[in-house]
Amino acid sequence: MSQVENREIDRSKMKVSDKVAIQITGMNKWYGAFHVLKDINMTVNQGERIVVCGPSGSGKSTLIRCINRLEEHQQGIISVDGTELSSDLKNIDKIRSEVGMVFQHFNLFPHLSILDNLTLAPIWVRKTPKKEAEATAMHFLEKVKIPEQADKFPGQLSGGQQQRVAIARSLCMKPRIMLFDEPTSALDPEMIKEVLDIMIELAQEGMTMIVVTHEMGFARQVANRVIFMDMGQIVEQNEPEEFFNNPKSDRTKLFLSQILGH
Amino acid sequence: MSDLSYVRTEMLGEQEPPLGETGILKWARENLFSSYGNGALTIISVVFLFFVLDYVLPWMFQSSWTANSLGECREQIAAAYGEGTDGACWAVIRERYRQLLFGFYPSNLYWRPILAFVLLGFAIAPVLFDKLPRKLLIFSGLFPFIAFWLIWGGTLWTPVGALLGFGIGYLASKFLPSLIGSLGATIATFLLPVIWWVFLYGPIGAAIAVYVGDNNMDSAIAGYEQRIASGEMNAAELVTAKRELKTLQSLPDKKAELAGLEVEAEKLRAALPDYLADVKTPENLPIATSKEDKVAFEKLLNIEGREVGIRDAIQRIYEDVGRIGPMVPVTSDQLGGFTLSILIGITGITLSLPIGILLALGRQSDLFVVKTICVGFIEFIRGVPLITLLFVASTLLNYFMPPGTSFDLVLRVMIMVTLFASAYMAEVIRGGLAALPKGQYEAADALGMDYWQATRLIIMPQALKISIPNIVSNFIGLFKDTTLVMIVGLMDPMGLSNAIRANQAWNGIVWEIYGFIALMCSGSSVSPCHVIPCIWSASFRPDTRVKEHIKCLK
Amino acid sequence: MKKSVFLGALTVAGLVAGAASAATLDDVKAKGELACGVSTGLVGFAAPDANGNWAGFDVAICRAVAAAVLGDSNAVKFVPTTGKTRFTALASGEIDMLARNTTWTFSRDVDLKFTFVGVNYYDGQGFMVPKELGVSSAKDLDGATICIQTGTTTELNLADYFRSNGMSYEPVPIETNAESQQNYLAGACDVYTTDASGLAATRATFENPGDHVLLPEIISKEPLGPLVRHGDDQWGDIVRWTLNALISAEELGVTSANLAEMQKGTNNPEINRLLGTEGDLGGMLGLDKDWAARVIAVSGNYGEIFESNIGESTAIGLARGLNAQWKNGGLIYSPPFR
Repeated sequence: MSQVENREIDRSKMKVSDKVAIQITGMNKWYGAFHVLKDINMTVNQGERIVVCGPSGSGKSTLIRCINRLEEHQQGIISVDGTELSSDLKNIDKIRSEVGMVFQHFNLFPHLSILDNLTLAPIWVRKTPKKEAEATAMHFLEKVKIPEQADKFPGQLSGGQQQRVAIARSLCMKPRIMLFDEPTSALDPEMIKEVLDIMIELAQEGMTMIVVTHEMGFARQVANRVIFMDMGQIVEQNEPEEFFNNPKSDRTKLFLSQILGH
Repeated sequence: MSDLSYVRTEMLGEQEPPLGETGILKWARENLFSSYGNGALTIISVVFLFFVLDYVLPWMFQSSWTANSLGECREQIAAAYGEGTDGACWAVIRERYRQLLFGFYPSNLYWRPILAFVLLGFAIAPVLFDKLPRKLLIFSGLFPFIAFWLIWGGTLWTPVGALLGFGIGYLASKFLPSLIGSLGATIATFLLPVIWWVFLYGPIGAAIAVYVGDNNMDSAIAGYEQRIASGEMNAAELVTAKRELKTLQSLPDKKAELAGLEVEAEKLRAALPDYLADVKTPENLPIATSKEDKVAFEKLLNIEGREVGIRDAIQRIYEDVGRIGPMVPVTSDQLGGFTLSILIGITGITLSLPIGILLALGRQSDLFVVKTICVGFIEFIRGVPLITLLFVASTLLNYFMPPGTSFDLVLRVMIMVTLFASAYMAEVIRGGLAALPKGQYEAADALGMDYWQATRLIIMPQALKISIPNIVSNFIGLFKDTTLVMIVGLMDPMGLSNAIRANQAWNGIVWEIYGFIALMCSGSSVSPCHVIPCIWSASFRPDTRVKEHIKCLK
Repeated sequence: MKKSVFLGALTVAGLVAGAASAATLDDVKAKGELACGVSTGLVGFAAPDANGNWAGFDVAICRAVAAAVLGDSNAVKFVPTTGKTRFTALASGEIDMLARNTTWTFSRDVDLKFTFVGVNYYDGQGFMVPKELGVSSAKDLDGATICIQTGTTTELNLADYFRSNGMSYEPVPIETNAESQQNYLAGACDVYTTDASGLAATRATFENPGDHVLLPEIISKEPLGPLVRHGDDQWGDIVRWTLNALISAEELGVTSANLAEMQKGTNNPEINRLLGTEGDLGGMLGLDKDWAARVIAVSGNYGEIFESNIGESTAIGLARGLNAQWKNGGLIYSPPFR
C-alpha cells in the first residue's frame, strides 16, 4: 500500500496546462443488456495525473479502455486531442498512436525479443527507420533501467521487468497520453515499487496520465485528481488531499475504509 | 589405540570394471534383457525377424535384374537358383523406374523437373538459414513461377503474366491507401489482380503470341523442312513432323478461309429474320419458325461452328510458333509418377497454408458476410470426402465450364486438393488463434497497428507456432492422399503400377513395384511436410530469426 | 469447340463460349490430335510401354482413327479413364471417343446418350477355379466364395446367374483386377470371375497356369466396342467405318504386307472402293480417298491387330472364337463398302 510514501516527490515539476487532452461528454456503454458505464462526463487537461479507483466491477477499466477504443461506447462523445472517436478507422488509428496503454498482464509479445517488442510498432506504424527506432528503444530501456535485457525474450524476465518493458514499449511510440490499467495488480509486492518509480518519473516529466490503480499511496503523492467510480458511474472526484481526508460520499467512505483500513 | 582407528597406507589403483558393466554387454543388459519379460520379448522378436528375413532376403537377392518380362525373370531365376525358387523380378524396376519417377515426361527433358526440384532447395534455403543474404528471398518468391515454367514449358508469358498480377496487387497495396483510403485499397489489392488475370492476361498473351509467331513463322517452317530433309528421323517422327509442317504452312489458307466464313456468316445473319436474331441454339427456335428460316438458321450455326474451329486452329498455330523462350511445352497428361505426386503435394501444401490462414481469419471476422462464407466453405469441404471432391474435379467441373472446354485435369485436381487441405488447415490455425490470449490483440491495437499489421506481426507468428505439430500432420496426410488421384485416371505411382502390370510382359507382378513405391514414399514424404510450415511461419516474422523456428523441425 | 486451358487461358474460354461449336471432325483437325479415352491399364487392350507409348487392342482403334482423320497414328492423346470417369469424360467433350472395353448396353446407348459404333470384341463373363477343387461346371459352385470387382456389370451378372440357378454364393468385393488376382492366388476366394478374356490373361501370368481351369459356362454377353457422343453423326460414321475398314480388310485379305500392292488396283471392286482406287467413299465421310489404306497401314487389319495384341501367339493367348470372321463361324461382320 505504501510503496512510495517515503519518497520525496517534487510536485512543482508537474504542471497542468489548461489545454484539454481528453473530453468525455455524456458517455454510456452497454455490454449487451448490461449498462456498464452510465453518463460519464470528464475533462482531462494536458499534464494531469488522474487516478481512477473503485471496487471491482465498477467500470473503471472499461472507462479507460474506451478512451483508446479497445471498447466501443454506444452513446456520448469521447474526443482525444480534439479528434472525436467514431467508427472511422482512420481516427481510431490516429488516436491509438497518440495514446499509450499499459496493461495489468503486460501483454508483451512473447515471440519477439525485448528490443523487437519496442521497435516493432515504431517501425511498422510510425515508419521510423530501424536504426533510429532501435536507438529510441535503447533510450527508453535505459530510462526503465533494464538496457542489459534488450536481447532477451519476455519469458526470461521477472514480472516487474516485464511491466517496465511494457511501459517503455508504449513510450517508444512517443505518446502524449498514457493509460495504465492496474499496472501493478499482477505483480509481487517487491516488484511494485520498481514499476511505480518509473511511473512517478513519467509524471514528473509532465506526461498526461490516467491510472486505474489501488495504490493509494501513489494516488496521494502523484495524482492531481482522484476519481472514484462505483456501479458504472463517477461517484466522486477531488484533489487527493481532500479526497482521502474528507470524502463526501458514503460509498467513497466505505471504499476508503475497506482499502485503507488494514 | 582403539579398534576403530584405521589408516590407509596404500592408495588403490583403478581396476577393470566387471564384464557386464561396459560396452555391448552393458547395453544389451540394459536395453534387451533388463527383466525376464523383456528378455523373452527380445528373443521372440529376434526369432520373428529371423523368419521374416529368412523369407525376404533370399527373395530379394535371388532375383533377376536383366529380364524383359516376368516369364523371362522366372526362367532366369530358375536357371540360376534352381527350379521352384521364389525370387524378386527387379527387372521391372530397371525397365520402369524412370516412368515411376517421371511418368510420361519426355526423357530428353528430364532435366527440367530435376532442375525444378534442385531449385526448390535453393528457394527454401534463405528462409531456413538467416545467415544467407536476404535478397535470396526474392528468388524464393519467384520460384513457383520458375518451377511452373520448367515443368510445363511453353511461352514465357504464362509465368510472367501471372506474376504481373501479383505485381499489380503489390503496387495497389503500396500506393493506393494514400489515394483512396485503406478499405478501398484492400479491396483493390484483391480485385485488380483478379481483373488482370481474368480479362487482360489471356488476350495480351494471345496478342504477343501472334506478334512473335508472325516473326518466327518463316524460320519455324525452315527448321521443319531442314529436319525433314536431314533424314535423321524415323518413320513415325517423319510423319508427325510433316503433319506439323503442313499445319504451319496452312496458316495463310486458314486465315483466308476464316475471312470468307466471316463474310458468309455476316450475310446469313443479315438475311435471317429479326425474331431469330437472339436465338442461340436450334432447341430454342420458336415453334412457328418456317422451314426456310430453320434451314438458314442451321446453316448459320454450322458456319459459326466452323469459324470457331478455324479460329481455334489459328490460335493453336500461333501458340506453337509464337512461344517466347526455348521451353518445349509439356502437357499435363505427360506428368505422372512421383513427379506428379510431389507436384500435387507441394502445391497443395504451399497454397493451403495461406488460404487456410485467410479462412481462419475470415471465420473470426466481425463482418457477417465474410464470416458466413468462410464457415460455409470450411464446413462444406470438411463434410465431403476428398475422393468425392476429386470426382467433382474430374467429372462435374467440366459441366460447369462452357461446353467443350477441357480444363486441365491436373490443374483441376490441384485446385481441389488445395481447397480440401485449406479447409482443414483453417481449422488447425483457428486452434492456434484461439490459444492466443486476448491481451496480444489488445496490445497490438493499443500500439496503433492496423488489422493486417497486427495479424502479420503479432498474431500469426504465434498462432502458427502453436499449430505447427498439427499443420505437419495435416501435410503428411495430404501427401499420402495424393495417391487418391489414381481414381480419376491420373498416373501417380499407384496408377502407374496398374498400368505397368497391364503390360503383357509384366502382368502379374506386384510386390516389386509396391516395394519400390513404398521405399520412395517414405523417403520423400517427410521432408517437405516438415519444412514448409516453418517457411510460412518464418515468413511472417518481421525480422527473420529463423533459428527459433527451426526448433519446430525438431 | 475445345480449348486446352491452363491458368489465364481460362479467360479466353469464358469469353468465346457461345452456342456455336465446331463439329468433332473439325475440332480434331484443329487440335491436330485425337483425344482418345482408354483404360488406365488392361492387359492386351491398353497399356503404356517403358517409353510411355500406348499399345493394345483398344489402343489400335484409337490409332486407326487418328490415321484416318489426321494421317498420323501417333497424333493421339491417350486419356486414361477409370470405370467411373469414362462416361463423363466422353459426355463433357474431354475426349473425342472412348475405346475402353466398354460393354454395349441398352441404357448406355439410350439413357447415357452414346453411340456404340460397333463391336471390336465379343466377350462374356466366365469363371476360373483351381484345378484341385475338381469343379468342372459353374453349376457346381453353390456356396462358393467368389472374388469380384465392384461397380461393374460382372457383379450384376453374377447375382443374376446364381439367382436363376437357385444357388448361393459369398462375394469377396475387390476394387482392382490386380488385387483380385492376389486374393485368388492367396486362397481368399474359391472362384475368380470376370470377362473371359481377362481370365485368360490373368491365368497366363500365373506361375503354374495349368493348376487353374476356366469353366465352360459363359454367363453373360459382353459386346465391347468403341463409342462416341450422340449428336455428331459424321464423327460417329468415321469411327464406325474405321472399325469396319479393319474388319473388311481382313475379310478381303488386305494385310499390312500386301497393302501397297493392293493399292495399285485389283480386280476386286470392293477392295478398290475400300482403298480408294475406285469411287470416293472417303469424300462422303469428309476424309480423303486414302483414309482406309492409312488405317490398315498402322498395324494391319482386324485379324493382325487381334493376333499381335491378344491372339494365340501372345502370352494372353485368346482364341478367335466368337471373334472370328463370320465366314469362319464367328460374329465379326462388316457391312459392305459400297
